[in-house]
Amino acid sequence: MITINEYGARTSAALRRFSRSTTTTLLCVTLGGYLALGIASSGEFFQGPSVRTFLQYLATPVLIGLAQMVALCVGQLNLAVGALGGCTACLMGVLMADGGVPAPIAVAAGVLTAMLVGLVTGVFIVATRINGFIVTLGVMTILLGAQYRLAGTRTVDGYSPALKELGRAAPLNVPLVFLTALAVAGLLAVFLYRATAGRRLLAAGGNPLAARLSGISTDRQIVLAHTLSGLLVGVAAVTATASLPGVNRSVGGDWLLPSFAAPIIGGVGLSGGSVAVFGTVLAAFVMRLIDAARAQFSLDPSWVNFLIGLVVLGTVVGGRVHQTHLEKRGKAHGRTPPAPAGRGPTADATLPNAGGGQ
Amino acid sequence: MRTPVTAPEHVAGEAAGAQRPPRRLPFWVDQRLGLLVLTVALAALFGVLRPAFLDQRLVLFPLLREISTLTVVALAQLAVLSVGHMNLAVGRMAAFGALFAGLGYDRLHLPLQLGLLVCLFAGAVIGGLTGWIIARTGVSSFVVTLAMDFALMGLVSLLYSALTENAAFTTRPSGLLDLRSASLADICVGRVCGSPAVPQMAQFTVLALVGLGFLYTRTRMGRELLLTGANPKAAELSGIPTGRRVILAHSLSGLLAALAGFMAAVSTGTFRASIGDDFMLPSFLGAVLGGTLLTGGVVCVVGALLGTSLVAVIRKGLDLLGVGLESLNIYLGCVLLLALSADRVRAVVSYRKVVRST
Repeated sequence: MITINEYGARTSAALRRFSRSTTTTLLCVTLGGYLALGIASSGEFFQGPSVRTFLQYLATPVLIGLAQMVALCVGQLNLAVGALGGCTACLMGVLMADGGVPAPIAVAAGVLTAMLVGLVTGVFIVATRINGFIVTLGVMTILLGAQYRLAGTRTVDGYSPALKELGRAAPLNVPLVFLTALAVAGLLAVFLYRATAGRRLLAAGGNPLAARLSGISTDRQIVLAHTLSGLLVGVAAVTATASLPGVNRSVGGDWLLPSFAAPIIGGVGLSGGSVAVFGTVLAAFVMRLIDAARAQFSLDPSWVNFLIGLVVLGTVVGGRVHQTHLEKRGKAHGRTPPAPAGRGPTADATLPNAGGGQ
Repeated sequence: MRTPVTAPEHVAGEAAGAQRPPRRLPFWVDQRLGLLVLTVALAALFGVLRPAFLDQRLVLFPLLREISTLTVVALAQLAVLSVGHMNLAVGRMAAFGALFAGLGYDRLHLPLQLGLLVCLFAGAVIGGLTGWIIARTGVSSFVVTLAMDFALMGLVSLLYSALTENAAFTTRPSGLLDLRSASLADICVGRVCGSPAVPQMAQFTVLALVGLGFLYTRTRMGRELLLTGANPKAAELSGIPTGRRVILAHSLSGLLAALAGFMAAVSTGTFRASIGDDFMLPSFLGAVLGGTLLTGGVVCVVGALLGTSLVAVIRKGLDLLGVGLESLNIYLGCVLLLALSADRVRAVVSYRKVVRST
């Protein structure tokens, strides 16, 4: 978890310790859960095929979580994640199956379209100054209609066997789509933590006024964030198209809530200015674990939603309690509380003042 | 009934009597008037193009029944928007309330009215719990209601599959079928005092509209809710228990959502988990088109009815004109974005005019 305040400041050491602790907690939960699941299934869960299936369906949640995270880091929400992903997947499927377009061109067209939709959304938000929540809600509605129009009620599955092959390929039992997701996460991390453009993005999200005064155009950052979000959704759509047996109008229907859950569990604040690439990836892992455990013990699928809801609630409430605890301790010892960032601003959070009255 | 917290109506009225205050915008900026004119004009247009649109029993009756339900959904969203929060779990709260009504009818053989009370109580409790978590921890309402949405989605389906055989309560207490199909003409003396197009269920909507309108314009409590939404800090400093107001707003939202769930269940005749699945979009559409601000502090109770009506009329009209289901969402999304940008343009233009004239 990184915020702009930390950059170069003396507090960076303390903050890094804190951020490490959040990520470590998640890491411990992930490893512990994985081990427990493995033991409960008497070792079957560690074997090649199980690992492969597990990772195969992890790629898309990671990517949509990252797409939402990029929008969140400038303080925006992207409700169109699921609809855009589904629409792009259907577009690619229809182009390949009905249009006879070769797979590479169709994939490129799909990703470009997704990026373009993100760009248009961003420009619209900046130009009209309407709340991003409502604009993306409108875009979501339009895209849902477009997806239905493209795919209708059928399932498009007659597309490129090569792409499907690629989606199922798994050297050393690690699926290619999962490696793609990891590579994208790595690139995104480099962009956000090291590149100037990424730092600008975070600056605009952390404190728009300060960013503007230091010569950063917040409008441009919002457009950039939505474009990037669209691009990531496009990649997620590619992985989904490649690994699913076929695309239809229900693809993307259940992406929206997990896309928010992953960054929030991973420790990203809704107020903008903070990102946690690794945390988001780990959170997607945890949610996949819950799903895998559900399948292992053949429980009702509804348990997954119920548990994810409780985990999200527990994470934010726990983080908040931890923060107040730290603040109190800081006051008692007569020194400043450890870190300015982290969960605190997270929780105070907001869509324009969606925070709680205290 | 649009009530900005800064200008109490009687004060504005007195001032207008003596001398038109300069900051007052001209009447054609009023969003509600535009909505009303647009809705009536569209209904007339559809009526001319397709005379079937004005069929009282077959088209207008179901249309008005849908409007009644969705208006209550929009009011449920409006109640939380008034304190600057959001409720993403409206649909699930509706399902949660309906579950209890169904349970009461099925297991305890409650009469119709008592079941409705149980349903409202359950909704208010779950809403109050959400509000309590938000007020107590200070976590953003977006995150908490999102998590609530997940948790309730799982919980409701689990309960339905545990309590029923085919995931629905089909026991119908006496009076339920009447409530479903009765119109004003049935309970009045035929054509003398009521049209067969107005469903009896509209009574709940009228009750909710009047109740909320009274709360926000006439009572101290309503003012305090709006002030909490406009500026939580100022509200806190002026001695308003903002935490309690937040809880009140959320339990009100839960109560209205449960009422909407009951109405939806009555219109379909069964109590099932899928009630409220598609409530989230209309809830924001109705409230925001009607002029309620997402940032809190400004609500427009009648606007919720007008916004919902506009959307429902467009949906039904396009449906009758033979626009396929698949394109409907595309047009709806476009209408939302256009309406909001037009509103924005109008506000900017009129603001400039006012500024120039003073």
